[in-house]
Amino acid sequence: MPKTRVGVFVCHCGNNIGGVVRVPEVVEFARTLPNVVYAEDNLYTCSEEGLSSIKSQIGEQNLNRVVVASCTPRTHEPLFKEACEEAGLNRYLFEFVNIREHCSWVHAHEPAKATEKAKELVKMGVAKACYLEPQEEFESEVFPAALVIGGGISGMTAALSLAGQGVDVHLVERERELGGLIRRVRTLFPTEQDTAEVLGPLIERVEKHPQITTYLGSEVESVEGFIGDFDVTVASDGAASELKVGTIIVATGAQELKPLELYGYSQLPNVVTQLDFEEKFKRDAEIPRNVVMINCVGARIPERTYCGRFCCTTAIKNAIWLKEQDPDGSVYVLHRDVMAYGVDIEEFYRRAMELGVRFLRYDIDDPPQILGEERAEAVRVQHQLMGREVVLPADLVILTTPLVAQEGSEKVSKMLKVPLGSEGFFLEAHLKLRPVEFSTDGIFVCGSARYPSNISESVSQAYATAAKAAIPIEDGFVRVEAITAYCDERSCSACGNCVEVCPFGAIELQEGRFGTTAHVNVAQCKGCGCCVAACPSGSMQQRGFDDRQLLSMISALAEEMTGGAGSP
Amino acid sequence: MAQEAHEEHGDGFEPRILVFACNWCSYAGADLAGVSRLQMPASCRVIRVMCSARVRPEFVIAALSKGLDGVLVLGCHPGECHYSEGNYFTRRRGLFLKQLLEYVGIEPERFQVRWVSASEGAKFADTVEEVTEQIKALGPNRPRAHS
Amino acid sequence: MSNRAVLVIGGGIAGIQASIDLANMGLQVYLVESTPSIGGRMAQLDKTFPTNDCSMCILAPKMIECAGHENVHLFTYSEVDEVRGEAGEFKVTVRRKPRYVDLNRCTGCGDCVEKCPRRVADEFNMGLSQRKAIYLPFPQAVPRKVTIDAETCLYLTKGRCRLCEETCEAGAIDFEQQEELVELEVAAIVMATGFDPYDPTSLKEYGYGEIENVITALELERLICASGPTGGHLERPSDGKVPRTVAFIQCVGSRDVHYKPYCSSVCCMHATKEAILANEHHPDLRSFIFYTDMRAVGKQFQEYVIRAREEYSVTYVRSRPGHIAVDQDTGNPIVWYDETVFGEAGDRVRRVTSMEVDLVILCQALVPHGVHREMVEKLGLELDESGFVAIQDRLIRPVDTSVSGIFACGFCQSPQDIPDSVIQASATAARVAELLGPRK
Repeated sequence: MPKTRVGVFVCHCGNNIGGVVRVPEVVEFARTLPNVVYAEDNLYTCSEEGLSSIKSQIGEQNLNRVVVASCTPRTHEPLFKEACEEAGLNRYLFEFVNIREHCSWVHAHEPAKATEKAKELVKMGVAKACYLEPQEEFESEVFPAALVIGGGISGMTAALSLAGQGVDVHLVERERELGGLIRRVRTLFPTEQDTAEVLGPLIERVEKHPQITTYLGSEVESVEGFIGDFDVTVASDGAASELKVGTIIVATGAQELKPLELYGYSQLPNVVTQLDFEEKFKRDAEIPRNVVMINCVGARIPERTYCGRFCCTTAIKNAIWLKEQDPDGSVYVLHRDVMAYGVDIEEFYRRAMELGVRFLRYDIDDPPQILGEERAEAVRVQHQLMGREVVLPADLVILTTPLVAQEGSEKVSKMLKVPLGSEGFFLEAHLKLRPVEFSTDGIFVCGSARYPSNISESVSQAYATAAKAAIPIEDGFVRVEAITAYCDERSCSACGNCVEVCPFGAIELQEGRFGTTAHVNVAQCKGCGCCVAACPSGSMQQRGFDDRQLLSMISALAEEMTGGAGSP
Repeated sequence: MAQEAHEEHGDGFEPRILVFACNWCSYAGADLAGVSRLQMPASCRVIRVMCSARVRPEFVIAALSKGLDGVLVLGCHPGECHYSEGNYFTRRRGLFLKQLLEYVGIEPERFQVRWVSASEGAKFADTVEEVTEQIKALGPNRPRAHS
Repeated sequence: MSNRAVLVIGGGIAGIQASIDLANMGLQVYLVESTPSIGGRMAQLDKTFPTNDCSMCILAPKMIECAGHENVHLFTYSEVDEVRGEAGEFKVTVRRKPRYVDLNRCTGCGDCVEKCPRRVADEFNMGLSQRKAIYLPFPQAVPRKVTIDAETCLYLTKGRCRLCEETCEAGAIDFEQQEELVELEVAAIVMATGFDPYDPTSLKEYGYGEIENVITALELERLICASGPTGGHLERPSDGKVPRTVAFIQCVGSRDVHYKPYCSSVCCMHATKEAILANEHHPDLRSFIFYTDMRAVGKQFQEYVIRAREEYSVTYVRSRPGHIAVDQDTGNPIVWYDETVFGEAGDRVRRVTSMEVDLVILCQALVPHGVHREMVEKLGLELDESGFVAIQDRLIRPVDTSVSGIFACGFCQSPQDIPDSVIQASATAARVAELLGPRK
């Protein structure tokens, strides 16, 4: 067996790591570790320069293990593994050590301790690397269909785009009609079209498309499996359908916050939300003379810190509508910043002002007050810019509230095993560069399910998820990461613990060369390691996370404490 | 040597804590703490596993008997395990393991199981802070003569 | 449709994402970028809001994935010369500008750069430092190959020098290199040309260009960046001192009927980020952000602003300053503004007041990139009133331009941040895939 030759690459990450951790010291230390034949530091190991260096050193130094100490494996592991492969080294002979998110960034004022910790982490990483073995990936077939959960504007757009790319789609909608939240909205921004004009044709296209199967009044009850092979149960009126899909798009939307405790919403008949206004007043009702809108109700407050993003847009839209219906009526919008970002919304805002809509800034610590007993009659507010109190007559008070998490989000989250963020909306894999994907392969999210977005934004997101959900289906296969479990049949006593604990039913007892032993179905194994921990004989192990590898990390760490660097 | 180590540390005792963090929730939560620049004591060394259920009792015993001051196993909140049941196994094992540690004379508080989700950067930082304080209060773990 | 190739114009994050998605769909992608490296504006950023991720750290892997993809063919230092035809059958002429460097031989070692005697203003560092006539635009450039700037190279302008050629061990310098015209046939085109900062010199009231310590947001970004001209040390232009107080002026040229009437979308967050970073680098530094509306509308944005206020010594002052003067002796800018918000009740006097600070940052308007107008004409696209690529139906087809088969994503079609640009980029990939139909 060839001697183990480990190469260690320690990243400065600009000054993200180097500004706290004394990187050259870590490199020096790495050189003293057993089996390390080469160590260097890089400004950005993930850059072309860094990757070139890794590739050339693999060749020059005959490295058969590579350890990179930089950021989190959750971002760059595939990149470095690719680099190893290009240099002829099996990608599973690579180990990542996190000395940024877990070290330099969280011990920024303790450089000495951070440096010592970085050294220890590198020592642990090297120890594990020495026990890594080359692996081959398994190719898993992708079932050529997609599931879209939610039939609102986002869901329908995603479904149509997928179908347009030649993919069969199952579209599941909880209500009895397609359309989602915007069905209740009368006119749309920025085109000012009647919603029916937009929604009608879209629904028709969905219903007519031969590759889209729509399930109305239905809910997804369970989802098992993994990318390429999801088993889905859809319940419709008591009947259940079993579906198989390759990828899933979450487009479950959100709901408007009804501010039950605020501004007399629950008591006064003429205090309504923007959506109430859309539903009740924009269709044939009498136009009230004096309207006061209060923005940021239940948003941007300590209990709910986020901004609803498009609620200002909605307020402006409705303010313009009111003024166009009754140019002599008064419309006041009380706000705490007008979020009219971009080109169209800013223009809209200006137009509203030109039409005579009055925008009035108020302070969060001095909110408006509704005056009136049985009905709201006026709104008293401290006009921040004028520095005095004003009383605005009001026939109608419209509260502008944000969208909040959809009813049932938690159920969907648990069912798909995808996380919700602190605001209650679905949490994507990465806020900047992976905004519509989940960490879990094959599941995507778009629209207000992810965060309140206006129609244009939701539709863009829907297209984006459709692109990503179609790719594995068009490819026809995905590669399964080689972190699956395997059984050493020679020592397996067929106790059956592993079979019982496996959450995916991926293990069976079978007759083989060594009698009855456990056998893992690699296509179903998700690499959790439950079986390994349950195995009394140590026969069951996990590739990339076996007992020897993990114990070596523990020993490496413990040794460091009691004596310092050097061979054991 | 064990005695020496104990005296040397005294008040300035800086615990060394081994942390097992699951890839989907707690490791991501730890990353988020980093991204959010939440500062915390430099006591913990994280080993990434795919699921907290991967952690065998033998790892915990090995770590404590080799002289590490504490072991923290972090997983997804019950009901939210990426592999559906893994963290239930972790929880059960944890309870059993605590009893075992007590039986062999190691303070059971040196081993803890906690739940941290991917969006709980602050919780990760708080957990590190809290567990570090608790283990500090226990003093250094006296290593076994044979490991 | 047998022609399964796509042209992507612009190698910033939007162009890169679109290219990766399209390439993953099995399409051949021709990515044309006018500068020597892909990366765009995101490469110039230090960190990105609201995660404060190191920008290059998250960009570099995407750049490499893009350039390394077997289906992506990079044309850097190139421009689109002509476009003919229609959806499904566009004929495109791409002009590869001569770099005078053989890309197959250049190893990116940088020896030539060291030897080159000619210095010019470095555009990557917003003119705050210098580069050589032969240069690598930034250390993580993809491709990692040098380029000779024909307008400043001593040999190409005056017939002297050739030191780079002497130095290059790989023999990669080629002064005979000519521009190359490449004919491509593509089924669809994606425009992703991004933005330029608006030059605030014409807003005389702010003194940009006159007062040394009045700089722009992108200039500050380069100063704060560890790989920038001062290694991340915030040194003010006049005397290199670290400022103790910094004023950010929002909406310089934006939301202004005299300049750009629209809101540039990202500047409120950008200023907040820079204020946070400045304080991280220099804990005694206090920032004052003069704003009209604090547009922190995205995910985790409000929380970011709250953190800035509570933990990073950032004070938000609601006002649009009218004038910036300067103390001639100290070089300190003096910001004159109108108090628009009253603190304690009872104080009803509306004051015009001033604040002397050490450094002023102008968050200027962001406009479509310089190549934009030319490109739009060549493609036959319509522009909206603000100069962005016109989108016919923002609601249902948010990335479709006025020409069938041509799509637009990112800033070239509307002011937006990185996540929105990335989303739109993937959206164009879906639209292209729909246009081309399934693979088989």
